[in-house]
Amino acid sequence: MKTSSFLPLSAWVLSAWLLAGCAGRRSEPLRGSLDTSDPRIAHGQTVYMVECEKCHPGGDAGLGPSLNNKPLPGFLVRFQARHGLGAMPAFGKDELPSADLEDVAAYLKALRGNG
Amino acid sequence: MPGLRRRSCRAFLLAGLVPVPLSLLLFSCYVIRPGQGGGQPGTRQDRKLNPEDIALPAGYRVEAIASGLTFPTAITFDDAGGIYAVEGGYAYGEEWGKPRLVKVMENNVFLPIAVGDSNGPWTGVSYQPSKARGPGRGFFYLAEGGQLHGGRILRIGMDGSTKALAENLPSYGDHHTNGPVPGPDGMLYFGQGTATNSGVVGPDNARFGWLARHRDFHDTPCRDITLAGMNYRSEDPFTPGGKRDAVATGAYSAFGTPTVPGQVVKGEVPCNGAIMRISPEGGKPELVAWGFRNPFALAFAPDGRFFALDNGYDERGSRPIWGAGELLWEIHQGTWYGWPDYSGPKGLDRAEFTPPHSGTTRRLLQNPADPPPPAPLAYLPVHASADGLDFSRSPEFGFRNNAFVAEFGDMAPSAGKVLEPVGFKIARVDMGRGVVEDFAVNRKGPGPASKLNSGGLERPVSLRFSPDGRSLYVVDFGVMGVSAKGPEPRRMTGVIWRIWKESVK
Repeated sequence: MKTSSFLPLSAWVLSAWLLAGCAGRRSEPLRGSLDTSDPRIAHGQTVYMVECEKCHPGGDAGLGPSLNNKPLPGFLVRFQARHGLGAMPAFGKDELPSADLEDVAAYLKALRGNG
Repeated sequence: MPGLRRRSCRAFLLAGLVPVPLSLLLFSCYVIRPGQGGGQPGTRQDRKLNPEDIALPAGYRVEAIASGLTFPTAITFDDAGGIYAVEGGYAYGEEWGKPRLVKVMENNVFLPIAVGDSNGPWTGVSYQPSKARGPGRGFFYLAEGGQLHGGRILRIGMDGSTKALAENLPSYGDHHTNGPVPGPDGMLYFGQGTATNSGVVGPDNARFGWLARHRDFHDTPCRDITLAGMNYRSEDPFTPGGKRDAVATGAYSAFGTPTVPGQVVKGEVPCNGAIMRISPEGGKPELVAWGFRNPFALAFAPDGRFFALDNGYDERGSRPIWGAGELLWEIHQGTWYGWPDYSGPKGLDRAEFTPPHSGTTRRLLQNPADPPPPAPLAYLPVHASADGLDFSRSPEFGFRNNAFVAEFGDMAPSAGKVLEPVGFKIARVDMGRGVVEDFAVNRKGPGPASKLNSGGLERPVSLRFSPDGRSLYVVDFGVMGVSAKGPEPRRMTGVIWRIWKESVK
């Protein structure tokens, strides 16, 4: 039992470590332009530019960690944005309405899949 | 068996699903992870050049047209398309030399047009074409940073003859006299950075080197302001002997001078954190707008609108600010843009600007702005040092009316911690949507070429489109590492890159 739980735990931790350390760059010169024909993605991108870009430029690491290499589901992305974690501030509904946050999550998903 | 399956399932969930998000979050944690600034140890001191190491959008090419410059900061073109560059003559890290305006010839030959004394850095240059309207035609206009004797705006002829159009600008501090650019009205527009990071002189300014030279220097507002009376205690780096005294310093005051609530500081022009203008024949500077931190790059868009890039606050000194991005502003006459109490329209007393494990940042001015400062057109990354700005005018280059931005790159850890190198690239801004996209980046990863052991971009500090609009010229300052002692700039590592769209070379 201990062995069976240790193995997946180790695998997940190792995977997470590798994911956290690997490059998350998805920008146009490296991966081609992002398709923003979906209005939700286009809107999410503009909201992202105001609220998120300065710390996670292009979804990559900067002042804050990379988002592009975090395979978190949308609900966890939204939870972290709403409640903050560690150094990251929380974004209230007055600042980042739920519809905008949904679109930011959609933009991030599209960005992760770019290229 | 069903019980065993349930236990196995529960164990799997505990072992897998819980640790995954937890691990991802922990490994992403700002506080736990070590800082990884672009200039931090690991930076090579030499310079290789290989354009293939720079990634661009499909169809674009890049080449190095000049190398071996020392601290180049700006570029311009004469009537015939001749290329001229400015060597700063001063770099952070207290590296001194002679600033120069040189004509860039083939094979890395640089023909001196004018040489300044040790009052650099020369931070910007423009040429007013002979066919332009107004009295300033056929001259170069330079900003002299003035670390020793104050900032100046210089007019330089093709024969090197030099006239100071403005002198004694308040430029002894962290940030200098910048620009200048000719406006559509024939006036010269220039920026004047602040003396300090966020309004309070402190030990960080002693580390820059200038506080020992100018003990009484501090920021000067452009209009009368009323202080909240916030004072900040710090060590006095000039205390003789081993143990350092503690001193209190208020905003807009000399080091060691406290302030009281309600204290009025008289505004005057010239001032700090401002964009001003002057006639190309000289005279007293006029105020255009204020409340900037360091409006390093100024540019007029093809439609005549006026824009500035403003370097955001650092996490340093007596009043460190966290998480404040670089801002691209549209400039309107008479507007106050928020320094030292705002970043964009947001007050610095918000939690998002408070460094981890620190108390809330307090405002320095007594009355909150009403209305608050306007929103910037675009936000650029924290600590990217967005220093170069121009607009694409040509359909042959593409991205017409987009702004192009040179990002010098972070100065971590001196300016604050970052998890990965920030900047060291060229970005473009869709001016209609405020969307920032990478345009030219190092292929091997984020950071300067010297850290990546590649031949790509180091520290892009300025850029300008050629007069025909077909080529984008990028001024690359060269290698500048950052150690615990501070910046370590490397001479003769500056480069000028040219970027063009393949079909129009």
